[in-house]
Amino acid sequence: MDRPITFREELRIAGRIASIRLRGQMAYRASFLLQIFSNFLINTAEILALFAMFYRFDTMGGWTLSEVALLHGISMVAFSIGDMLTIGMDNVAPQIRSGEFDRVLTRPLSSWMNAATSEFNLRHLGQLVQGVIILGFALSRVDIAWSIDKALVLALAMISGIALFMALFTVEAIFSFWTVNGVEAINAFTYGGSDLVQFPLHIYGRTLRFLFLYVIPAGFITYYPALYLLDKPDPLGMPDWFVLLGTPITVLFCLVTAWGWNQGIRHYRSTGS
Amino acid sequence: MSMISVRDLRKTFPIKRHRSGMKGSIASLFRPEYEGEFAAVKGISFEVARGEIVGYIGPNGAGKSTTIKMLTGILVPTSGDATVAGLVPWEKRKQLAQKIGVVFGQRTQLWWDLALIESLELLKHLYRVPEARFQENLATATELLGLGDFLQTPVRQLSLGQRMRGDLAASLLHDPEILYLDEPTIGLDIVAKAAIRDFLQTLNRERQTTVLLTTHDLDDIEQLCARIMVIDHGEVMFDGELNALKSRWGGRRQLIVDFASDPDADIGSISNGALEVTQIDGPRVTIAFDRDAISAPDVLGRAGAFGEVRDMSLQEPEIEDVIRRMYEGSVPIRT
Repeated sequence: MDRPITFREELRIAGRIASIRLRGQMAYRASFLLQIFSNFLINTAEILALFAMFYRFDTMGGWTLSEVALLHGISMVAFSIGDMLTIGMDNVAPQIRSGEFDRVLTRPLSSWMNAATSEFNLRHLGQLVQGVIILGFALSRVDIAWSIDKALVLALAMISGIALFMALFTVEAIFSFWTVNGVEAINAFTYGGSDLVQFPLHIYGRTLRFLFLYVIPAGFITYYPALYLLDKPDPLGMPDWFVLLGTPITVLFCLVTAWGWNQGIRHYRSTGS
Repeated sequence: MSMISVRDLRKTFPIKRHRSGMKGSIASLFRPEYEGEFAAVKGISFEVARGEIVGYIGPNGAGKSTTIKMLTGILVPTSGDATVAGLVPWEKRKQLAQKIGVVFGQRTQLWWDLALIESLELLKHLYRVPEARFQENLATATELLGLGDFLQTPVRQLSLGQRMRGDLAASLLHDPEILYLDEPTIGLDIVAKAAIRDFLQTLNRERQTTVLLTTHDLDDIEQLCARIMVIDHGEVMFDGELNALKSRWGGRRQLIVDFASDPDADIGSISNGALEVTQIDGPRVTIAFDRDAISAPDVLGRAGAFGEVRDMSLQEPEIEDVIRRMYEGSVPIRT
């Protein structure tokens, strides 16, 4: 085909590739289910820790168990979906090291799409299931006066969250275009960020709050939407419209990430690392 | 029309200065220091017409891969122009990808955990190959490369030869106009090599696919390439017909003389413009000579003055020798 590929076609191709790869994994049903189950168990530890904490204390920073569970649910669902959609990004650093990354650039797809889809599995399905359970638990226990606004805020928080974590996993890959050392340090922000914003932001000190609002805007996809859903006043005294900041700030973060990715590709193509 | 057109293509890599320690590596990340440049390709120019099979050869580090990476759009050149199938590779990388097939002998483009047929289906989607066309190409490849026995086998269980055949089939599903092959027969047994060469010849004959082939296997060159380009130190040393290369550089036959005992040490002194003692290994002495300037009995006669000759054998020039001598001479020759 002579015509350049469109974004919609790329998405469709990525979907087809994912389904073929899944079919391949499903062939080994026992191993497939076992992986999901073990992933589920690993994440159970997090939940147990949460329950253990609330066994000793009734509230955390004025939030009840169910309210904190809401933060957990949003963060875990967004993180696991974002992770699943960008698993291929984990391969970028080793591919650059081994020279396999050349192959990504001989495909008729955009380099990002190609790198992201270089791997796909449902291993993280366990965490997603976990997140959905927690989110369901939280939503059934907390007292939310539901309105269209609130439903919209929750939906946007989810979508922005997925995009944000996809971008964060991409950021890690971007660094590997320049250096092969210490790229894993970025994990502290990805995994650390998703863990940290599972608790109310006001329990942290100024530095951490600043970091996870204005540098990595993960706080905007759990904390502020949760405040809004629960009709809680912001103990940090930020204006009401802060709840609306999540989506635009995520879009900005993704744009900067996309720019960074293109710089990385440009660097690679001029140095051929 | 030229399928590949290259004008004064140049690629220079900066050499980064390594700084030690955590602080050093962070500093290098944000403010890299360079201690010089390495010119991998120094202004090469050539044309490849549609339907040609060109052998692109040279020692390791000569600039072969760098050239191919520029012609596939993986690398952006430092300067110079090129068009491949009418496109500037590094500007229209995605569009070009649709028109070229790339096989890196050492690496596979198949998915390790999938059956070969699943990998091929995945590539069908990736390259937007219409179903009918896919079935046709798959049937051709299956027949000519004998894929039938292992289409359902996971790629990781394939032998190297099977995998290579799978990779070749994979690179041709989208009917590329140009095929880049990097060491396609490396590590393969004779049967697999022959199958792959036959396949390439058929492909070239029936579809006029242009092939640019890098290889260290001189049989590949002898059997596939009417034209070869030799590159060394980033420059084209020779570009022309294989026969022209042989007659220009490889007129030398070799006479291997076995003496009854070690010959006089100064046997090397018989070397002159027409003949050269290339190796002395105990009683065995190898003499290369120019067939137009001196005859084999004459050479034998001169060698005989240095000891008692027990046996001798004559070898025709081999392309291996030709190319080795070219590298040693390192004089750019164009025809």
